[in-house]
Amino acid sequence: MNPRPRVLVIDDEPDYLRIAARIASKAGCAVVTAPAALPGVELAEKSPPDLVLLDVGLPDISGFEAARRMRRIPALARVPIIFFTVRSELDMVSEGLKLGAAGYVLKPFDPDELLRRIKAAVFPA
Amino acid sequence: MKKPSAACVGSPELRDFLAGTLRGFSLKYYPSAAAFLKAPPARGLAVVEASLPDMAGRDLVAVLRGDRKTAGLLLVLVGGGPYSPAAAALSLENGADEYFSFPPDSTLFRARLLNLLGRAAPGARLPEKPAEYSFGALRISPEARAASVGGERVRLTALEFDLLLYFLRNQGRVASRTVLLEQVWKLGTEAGTRSVDKRIEALRCKLGRFGSKIRTVFGLGYIFKL
Repeated sequence: MNPRPRVLVIDDEPDYLRIAARIASKAGCAVVTAPAALPGVELAEKSPPDLVLLDVGLPDISGFEAARRMRRIPALARVPIIFFTVRSELDMVSEGLKLGAAGYVLKPFDPDELLRRIKAAVFPA
Repeated sequence: MKKPSAACVGSPELRDFLAGTLRGFSLKYYPSAAAFLKAPPARGLAVVEASLPDMAGRDLVAVLRGDRKTAGLLLVLVGGGPYSPAAAALSLENGADEYFSFPPDSTLFRARLLNLLGRAAPGARLPEKPAEYSFGALRISPEARAASVGGERVRLTALEFDLLLYFLRNQGRVASRTVLLEQVWKLGTEAGTRSVDKRIEALRCKLGRFGSKIRTVFGLGYIFKL
């Protein structure tokens, strides 16, 4: 049997971290979490996940910068990243999608929408 | 004369439908939000599918409406599945000018869009968010933070009002007690799920005959269905 896909959730807000982690578990994934970008990148590098759910406004470096750093690590270059954030400005969304994000979900999010996106990313048709 | 322009953001099925329906338009196709956001047009019509590969269509509409450069676009959301008044209301609330479920009736679709385009002269005022939700005798005004049933004001606490708005915006979706605590109370689970039950009971009582629309889903939480 294949092991459960691993999802890394990086968010500094404990509520969102918990909700996103619960939704990812519901999608059938094993979840690891990080409360900031740098520990998140470190975790990802040590053990590459199958998907990263990444907040944008993080206390140490931005989610976008974290995504860039992950992309430079060969083992993480192709890991799907879904940004989930309150940042709804067009330039921000555009920048996130230009980084090759698999998805951009605005907070507060619809749990069903996030669940669908996680499933699509970890169990592609 | 220059052809009116229309952008299609969505699946090839939507593109084919628009190609057949919007004859006389210059139609540009974008398969994803990322493709559209590379150089979004400032004017004209954009028909956006509700479920895009990289974003919810509703979120994309809110983003486009909120930006100075793209706020003048005429935005039409096209949802999947049967027509849902709740999905339509939510789409308009997020800034869409129109909502259809796919596939819309092509004659009506074309007529409505031509109407919209005819009204959208340059410099025309942007559509405002609906000031009120109205479901029969139940009316809710998010801005005034007021609710009424049959014209009678329903006196809700701030928390009860937020709870009602959360239900309205997530109609037909099961909300667990924990999610309600997190998304409405904004407290995490420390408040305890018992306080959710108590507040919902109070809201049900205050909403009179609409109170029964908040149903308990055993073992899961609550669902609001009108």
